[in-house]
Parts: sequence; structure tokens; C-alpha cells
Amino acid sequence: MPLPAPDLRLYLEELERFADGQLSAAEQEAFETRLETDPALYQAYQQYEQLTADLRWVAGHETLCQRLLALDQRLDQRQLALSRVRRRQREQQRRWGVLVGGVLLALLGLWLMWRPAAPSAANSWNRYYQPEAGLSDSVVREGKRPLLAEAMRLYREGQYPPALQALQRIPTNAIGQDTLTYYNGIFLLSQDDPEQIQAAQPFLRRVATQASSPLAGRARYHLGMAYWRNQQTTAARNTLRAVSNDPRNPYQEAARRVLRSDVLKE
Amino acid sequence: MDTPQQLAEVLTSLRVGNQSFLVQFYEQNRTLFARWARRQHQLEPPAAHELLRTVLVEFYDQVADGRLTKVPDNVRAYVYGLADEQVRAARTTARLPAHESGRRQHLLALFRTLGLDCQKMLMYFYFRGYHFEKMAGKMGFANANVARMQKSACLRKLYELRLRAAV
Repeated sequence: MPLPAPDLRLYLEELERFADGQLSAAEQEAFETRLETDPALYQAYQQYEQLTADLRWVAGHETLCQRLLALDQRLDQRQLALSRVRRRQREQQRRWGVLVGGVLLALLGLWLMWRPAAPSAANSWNRYYQPEAGLSDSVVREGKRPLLAEAMRLYREGQYPPALQALQRIPTNAIGQDTLTYYNGIFLLSQDDPEQIQAAQPFLRRVATQASSPLAGRARYHLGMAYWRNQQTTAARNTLRAVSNDPRNPYQEAARRVLRSDVLKE
Repeated sequence: MDTPQQLAEVLTSLRVGNQSFLVQFYEQNRTLFARWARRQHQLEPPAAHELLRTVLVEFYDQVADGRLTKVPDNVRAYVYGLADEQVRAARTTARLPAHESGRRQHLLALFRTLGLDCQKMLMYFYFRGYHFEKMAGKMGFANANVARMQKSACLRKLYELRLRAAV
């Protein structure tokens, strides 16, 4: 019949010292002898061994539980930190995006405000075109040629269509044909209308090709300018080059100025 | 895990108390497992994490008890299966009283009532196998003798708890 389980507390200290290797050689020898002779001690020893075996299992179980729990917390913290870092990065990217966008917009605004204005065709025309002065009153002699005087007055006032109408009413025997043709071309050219400028070309060409006419050189200049205004740059360049090479042409310097500028470059 | 040899090594190392395989498994599979548990059992991530921890401890217990003598070919499938079983059992019936009545489970319950320092010391000594000097260093005791006496007191306390519970 097995003995009732002894109270381990009575033996616990020496059992532990034995199990933990704390006994001296003599003590250990004595303890081992007692284990063989004292059934109660032996039973306590067995009980102790079972308790510590169970405790080893419990300790292993609990260690793993705690390690996993600690790891879980660490992973949660890492995840939290990562998401915080990502959020911060996104915010920073957004901030930079806004900043860069703002700077670009500001630069665009500044460029729009201060960009060098491209020379417009109208500006270039006004800059380089030297208009015909028209016939002077002494030449016109108003008393004798009232319509011519009227046409010149209207031309000088910038009223080109009425000036043209007045010019067209002048009888052909009152004024030279080349003069009439020339001013027809001039009045048409002075109007800011591509069709009229196109229409001016035949008149001016006709006078320019009349070598005997004193107006031929002047007509050549206005013809060259008419070509330019109609974007016929090659014809304009060639015609103006002829003007610039003609020392008797009153528009020689004006033609040279146009040729020196880059307005006639294709 | 790859080869059967490696699997066998896992079993051996778990038996001698090297738990790193399970710790690594938890670290690598936690997120994946939480997704699976959400889909399969509508568990929120914290509950899924707890379930995985419970299942891994159960796996470890099976190895330590000798209930599991061969590591399954597919550890992940086995762990997921355990989790599945655990959730279904929890849904259909309460925990089996027999589970609670096991001697080791009983001791585990008593162990958890000990103070944290006592738990730590007994784990260091009986699981990690620290000698008294190392334990003294870990616990901040003056010397190994103090550590030995403290460990002894803790063991006595646990034994007394068990005696009291048996009455």
C-alpha cells in the first residue's frame, strides 16, 4: 500500500539543494544514502521531481505566451510607426507638391507679366514703314485741281477710302497718269486691310517699272513694303535691295533699315 | 519550412526549449493569418492575433507533451487547422472541463496567480536554465545566494498554493 503523499515543505530545502547541486560531496553522499533508506524522503523526492517537471512545462508554456505577446506588441508598434512615417511622407510630398506648384505658378505669372513682347507685324510696320508725304499744296495748286487737293488733304488726315474716291474722280488730263497710278497704290497701301494692300501692288508695280517716271524709285520702295506687308518676303527683300542700292532713291536709307533688321528673315 | 530534415530539426529544437521557430512563424504569418481569420471567421485583427498566439502555444504544448511526435509536412496548414478547430469549439460549446482538470493546466493556473517576479524567476530557472548568478544579474539581486533563496521561496509559494487548492 503506497504511503500518503508527504508534505513537501518539510523536505523542500534539502531537495532543492540536492537538485540544484548545492550540496558538498559528503552531504550529497549522505543524502543519497537517506534516499535509499527513508521511504518518506524518497516519496517526497519523487513528488518534487514531478512538480519541477510540471513546472518546466508551465514555464515553457508561459515563456512562449509572453514572448509572443511581447512580439505582438512590438509588431503593432512597428506597424503604427510605419503608418505614421508613411502618413508623414505623404503629407510632406503633398506640402512639397503645393510649394512647387505655387512656385511654378508664380514663375509663370512673372513670365507672363515680364515676358519680352514679341514684335507684332503692326508694330514692325509702323517702325519701319516710311509713308508717302503726299503732294504739297504748291504742287497741287488748289485753285486749278480742287479734287487733287481734296484727295491729298483727306490722305494726310488718314481718311484713305474717301481720299481714294476723290482721287478716282480726278479727270485723267488734269494730272499725269503715273502720278494717278502711284497715289492709287499709296492710298490703297495706307489702308490697314490685306485685300487693299494686295490691290495696291499692281498700281505700284506699274509705276516702278516705268523707268522714265520720276516716281518709279519711290513706287519701288512702297511696292517692296507692300510685298512685306503681304508676307511675300522674298519679293520684298529683292525689291527693297534694289531700292537700297539706288543712291538717288529718297527711300534708300529706309530700305536699308528694313533690310538690316530681322523682320524680313524667313 | 522546406525539407523533412529541417522539419525534424524543428521538433528537436522545440523539445529542448528553442522556441524561435514559433516566434519567427508568428512574426512572418501574423498579418496573413489575420486576413484569413477575418475572411473565415469574421475576427478583428487583435482577436486573430490572440488566436494565432493561442494556437502556437498549443502547438508547442503538443510537442513538449509528446503528443506531437512528427512535425506536419505543412506547418501552416496544420496551424490554420488548429485555429479553425479552436474557433468552432468555442462557438459550439464551452471549454471542456477535462481540459482544465489536467495536472499541468492546474499548475499553470496557479503559476499565473504568482507575482510577476516569481513567475519570471521560475521561468528563468526551470525553462531557460539560467544559473543563479545569471539570474541574480537579470533580477538585480546582490548575489547568486539571494537568487537561490528567492527562487526557493517562489517554489515553496507555488507548492503551498497547490496544497491549498487541493483541500
